[in-house]
Amino acid sequence: MRVAYYSPLPPQQSGIADYSALLLPALRRHVDVAVARRRRPLFRKTGVALYHVGNDPEAHGWIVDALRRRPGVVVLHDFVLHHLVAGTTLGRGDAPAYVRAMERAAGPGGRLLAEQVAAGAAPPPWETRAEEFPLVDEVLDHATALIVHSRYVADLARERGYARRISRIPHPVWSAPGTEAEAFGGAPLVGSFGHVNPSKRVPQLLQAFSRLRSSHAAARLVLAGPVSPWFELEPRIAELELDDAVLRPGYVDEARLWSLMAACDVVVALRAPTMGETSGAALRALALGKPLVVSDVGWFAELPEDVAVRIPVDVGEIEALTAALEGLLADDARREEMGEAARAYVRTHHDLERVAEAYAFALERAAGGEAVADALLGEIAQAAADVGIGADCPELAEIAGRLRETDVV
Amino acid sequence: MRIAVCAPQVPFVRGGAEIFVERLATELRARGHETDLVTVPFKWYPGTRVLSQAFLWRLVDLTEAESRPIDLVIATKFPSYAVRHPNKVVWLLHQFRQAYELDRTELGQFGESAEERAVRRAVQALDRRVLGEAQRIFTTSQNLQDRLQRSTGLGAQVLPHPPQELSYRCEEYGDFVLSVGRLDRAKRVDLLLRAAATDESLRLVVVGDGPDRRRLEELARHQHLDGRVTFSGRVGDSELADLYGRCLAVYYAPVDEDFGMVPYEAFLSEKPVVTTNDAGGPLEVVADRRTGLVCEPQPAELANALSWLRDHVDDARSFGRAGKRVASEVTWERAIDRLLA
Repeated sequence: MRVAYYSPLPPQQSGIADYSALLLPALRRHVDVAVARRRRPLFRKTGVALYHVGNDPEAHGWIVDALRRRPGVVVLHDFVLHHLVAGTTLGRGDAPAYVRAMERAAGPGGRLLAEQVAAGAAPPPWETRAEEFPLVDEVLDHATALIVHSRYVADLARERGYARRISRIPHPVWSAPGTEAEAFGGAPLVGSFGHVNPSKRVPQLLQAFSRLRSSHAAARLVLAGPVSPWFELEPRIAELELDDAVLRPGYVDEARLWSLMAACDVVVALRAPTMGETSGAALRALALGKPLVVSDVGWFAELPEDVAVRIPVDVGEIEALTAALEGLLADDARREEMGEAARAYVRTHHDLERVAEAYAFALERAAGGEAVADALLGEIAQAAADVGIGADCPELAEIAGRLRETDVV
Repeated sequence: MRIAVCAPQVPFVRGGAEIFVERLATELRARGHETDLVTVPFKWYPGTRVLSQAFLWRLVDLTEAESRPIDLVIATKFPSYAVRHPNKVVWLLHQFRQAYELDRTELGQFGESAEERAVRRAVQALDRRVLGEAQRIFTTSQNLQDRLQRSTGLGAQVLPHPPQELSYRCEEYGDFVLSVGRLDRAKRVDLLLRAAATDESLRLVVVGDGPDRRRLEELARHQHLDGRVTFSGRVGDSELADLYGRCLAVYYAPVDEDFGMVPYEAFLSEKPVVTTNDAGGPLEVVADRRTGLVCEPQPAELANALSWLRDHVDDARSFGRAGKRVASEVTWERAIDRLLA
């Protein structure tokens, strides 16, 4: 079976491009994969199409265009796709399509808001309240099966009425490369990796870190990642008098990312609101055996307690974060235990080969599952009909129920 | 307790699994449990037949019989463990191996069409779902436990079972090597025949019948083994015990076997077992130069191992006796105590 594979790929800077670069070689050991390109989509000679869908219109707009033309298996990396939809509608001058999407998501209120946004009379909701309008419905319409990384997204998809097969496949983990830890003056070191913006709870992290400095005067914080243009990082650092304590290397390449992370005593991966995403940085930290502090939301909340300390969002957040950091930094044995548990956890649950096998499972079921179901149901229905059990008989409902229990159709 | 032992039945086929389930029911009855053996015919081809036949088990109601509850269901082999019961215990003999490690080998069943690939995946999905319902899962070997863990993520306890009851004895270390088992490709009797072709002093007795018999007889002729290999077909218990008692050693080297009772039968007859290093379950009891010989799955290697035993009968005896100590540890008493604990 040949799979048409739609995804951003390196050198594009995207978490999903990195994901596919990791997954593809392993997946190719299980199924024949043809990679689609932006200007060279594949329609023929492939049994099933696989679409990686995320929230970035630049990276994923063309993929959703292809999905519209040919339904297939969708890997839903984010549940909230508002930014993607805005980019592929308003961004292409098609305001009516945006209005329709918003109306479908939120009724007349959504329509009204969309019309105001299109007219420039209201601020873009994808910047501030995207989670209220996920705009995922059209993608779900065209998905013959879904692959998600978390129970959280699976549950949300079911709540939106998605009735077809959903496979929960953990995000594969990178092998820790054994990079030398970057040398820093001062200790301990706390790290946060990825975009520097409010949704990564950087304001709260700075506050908590500032409090931490009262007990750990030499502590340093590394914020490794590009600073979002609208986020005023420097004034916040200045206000808290953390200029020397916070390292801001900006975007770092993969090698430096591992090196910086290896130097950390604790890695923080906070998120709110969540768009249903998985954090590649958090997985890298687990692979390195770093104690992790996460927000108690979405995928992050599904991490076991022995590998990640969960922090509530908003109420008591800064206090809980401060306490978590102080508690971890004061307890070498606990950090060690969490690190061991983290390595064991990713080996068991995020192993690349197992993930690739799970993909092959989902793809092969998607490609031939309908034909199998037709054949099987036909055989059973014929046998039932032969003994007088017709479509209107309650016995047939029982048989159908038993079939669903077995997960063969 | 009222116990239903569940097993599929391939019409006109009788082998180790059939002997096992009958014996299990007998042993449970002997311990005061009202026990019955429940079987459903099984056919696994063509197309989706493997699924529809498996599904038959799902429609079987074993919650009660004649208005009295059935307390426990012990399912054994694919697809009998698809049966529904609130107290289902699985003593796993085999999954449907064509959907797993035999896939894309000459012993596989599923081709490369989208539909065939999807049938294979549906078998796997069924396994995950219905085995996941079991209160407890036992496997007959570590090999099977590992395979179950890899394929479904489900844990299990290893619980081997004794072989069939025969009047096991050792009369001599004679001049022939014995092969016992169903004649299908997975049992790899052809390897033994090719080994015999490289050493004219080797004599073989092949017990068993099956779909590969004609090919094997043809191969024996082609390799000029006439007079040195005897295809005995199925033999009675008495004759089998006699063959075990008189042979030099027992050959048993299926491809990555789940468990295999033949080594235990050989050991109870104080005979060493010669197997290959890819045989799977048998390697858990056949230890090289302790209870038998383990070699590469190559005719010349196998021939060397067999002729070495012929030239070192004292070692063959020593290995066989060590094997007997291993096999004697596996008793129905212990197995049923754990099964019902």
